[in-house]
Amino acid sequence: MGNFGVWIGIFILSIACFIFWSSQPLQYYGEYGPGPGLFPTWLSGVLALLSILYIIDCLRKENRISFSNVIPKGKVLFRVLTVVASIVVFILIAPWTGYLIAGIIVTIIMLLPDFKWYSSLAISTIVTFALFFIFKTLLDIPLPVNAFGW
Amino acid sequence: MDAFNLLMSGFEIALTWENLLYCLIGVSIGMMVGILPGLGPSAGTALLIPMTFGMDPISAIVMLSGIFYGSMYGGTITTVLVNVPGEAASVITSLDGYPMAKQGRAGVALGISAIGSFIGGTVAIIGVAVVAPQLVKFALAFGPPEFFALIVFGMTMVVGLAGKSIIRGSIAVVLGLVLAMVGMAPGSGVVRFSFGIPHLIDGLNFVTIAMGLFGLSEILLGIEQQMKKPEKPPVVKGLFPSRKELRPSLMSIGRGTGLGFFMGLIPGTSSVVPALMSYSIEKRISKDPKRFGNGAIEGVAGPETANNSFCGGALIPLFLLGIPSSATMAVLLGAFILHGLQPGPTLFVRHPDFVWAVIASMFIGNLLLLFMNLPMAKMWAKVASVPFKLLFPIIIAISIVGTYSISNSLWDVGGLLVFGLLGYFLKKADIPVAPVALMFILGDLMEKSLLQSLALYKGDFFAIFTRPLSGTLLALSVLVITLSIVAGFKSKKDNLVDVEA
Repeated sequence: MGNFGVWIGIFILSIACFIFWSSQPLQYYGEYGPGPGLFPTWLSGVLALLSILYIIDCLRKENRISFSNVIPKGKVLFRVLTVVASIVVFILIAPWTGYLIAGIIVTIIMLLPDFKWYSSLAISTIVTFALFFIFKTLLDIPLPVNAFGW
Repeated sequence: MDAFNLLMSGFEIALTWENLLYCLIGVSIGMMVGILPGLGPSAGTALLIPMTFGMDPISAIVMLSGIFYGSMYGGTITTVLVNVPGEAASVITSLDGYPMAKQGRAGVALGISAIGSFIGGTVAIIGVAVVAPQLVKFALAFGPPEFFALIVFGMTMVVGLAGKSIIRGSIAVVLGLVLAMVGMAPGSGVVRFSFGIPHLIDGLNFVTIAMGLFGLSEILLGIEQQMKKPEKPPVVKGLFPSRKELRPSLMSIGRGTGLGFFMGLIPGTSSVVPALMSYSIEKRISKDPKRFGNGAIEGVAGPETANNSFCGGALIPLFLLGIPSSATMAVLLGAFILHGLQPGPTLFVRHPDFVWAVIASMFIGNLLLLFMNLPMAKMWAKVASVPFKLLFPIIIAISIVGTYSISNSLWDVGGLLVFGLLGYFLKKADIPVAPVALMFILGDLMEKSLLQSLALYKGDFFAIFTRPLSGTLLALSVLVITLSIVAGFKSKKDNLVDVEA
């Protein structure tokens, strides 16, 4: 149960099964030649076969990948989760706060564990305003904005 | 003569102040991408694609290709000075470059790698200018069976060379093809696997996938590995080799140039392969192989030249056939398509101004890089000491803005996270991610050419083997896979690291 490789193999196998199942309603071969279902059907079969071979390979003692070697611990795990959380926070708040506020908040979240709060605030403000200037002002690329237009 | 005139007109376009500026920006960013840990050339190039949306296509590709070969130069600096390869091809350079730095000869290692990179890069680009126009007619003869066979050959090269095992490489390749199936099916136009989500009708976005798989996943892994304080770089002095070392260095540079260029022509290889082969050749023909690993200058000159020469050679399959040789080339191909340029045999005919301006800009870029490397090596060494804890939040912030700007949608930012986590866990499971991106970009062409071939031969797949070129390529593919399996069983296969993070 603690073999990470086996779980990844099962995940890939389930993707293969899902693709195979989803491609069944698609035409396999029509009057004028192969249809849109041909490639996915064969590909899902190949992926399923490979995932089974991968699971068997991971069951070998020398290829075993334990969860304890995969999932980081302590401070490092916290840092990895911080990055994931900061992106989720951006997706959730950017439509309301606009890029400038959302950008500063997510950068602060990532900087705070290593820098003092005022340094984090200063760095994140500079980085966010610089990116806003480059993308929005200089390159004219739209960024999420709030009701005030920033 | 015609090619010469076209090249001259390319120089005219490349030497406008605007394109010169973009070339300078590109190679400078590339140098930084190569130097700073946590970003490889693929991620660096993908990260900057959104910045080019508002640009003219020529300026955009000039800048993006500058990032590509700039990162090849930059990767060497951290490798030699602090033994932290900024990109995968530089891993080989660390074998002798770092020992040279420890002996107080960091300047010589950096100097010879800059000279070798310049010679290798420039000669390869001359090669592209001479060879590519001659190959246009040959490329125009490519029909659907040939394209299909060429992609299969590239696929087997990727599987045979990248990663711990054939099974893992194959899974990565097929996953890339599966991702490519989302959206409109080639030929019929039927929308597949979109599950009613409007964002998926046009398929998944390559830039989001590349930024997630290469950028975010590398950052997450980097957090685990690089939170320690960076090593202080040694003093850089004396950039040129001694008179005694000059001849063997030049010989290594010559061999590296030829090897890198020809390896660039083969789809599915990456710059790691010519660098590794060059090192192995230099060691094998050396009178005293024991010097290798202890600071042999040929061990730096050969691989560095080969990996830069490879970048030039790899432009030929990209320009002529639309087939990228490596993950970074796949990112460049993605940029081509975003800017409305479809690489393939007709690119030389329809957009000669674009092709020759990009080739000319590479001459200029290589020259700029030589000047940026030799006298400014000390400054770049200081850039290498930027702590990762400061660097990664900035890279994530750029990634978020970059992915958002692809289609002005937070959907792509979500995609960045999903593919970042996918890349992170695949790498932990020893499954290489470069083939995923490479095959994603080729998936549509592969399916289209397979369906057209089957329609041509009334569903008989084996008829593809009967055409001389496609038959040869498929036979070679079978040979590559068979050799890889046999070598794997004998445990004699060179296990190359996951290519081009």
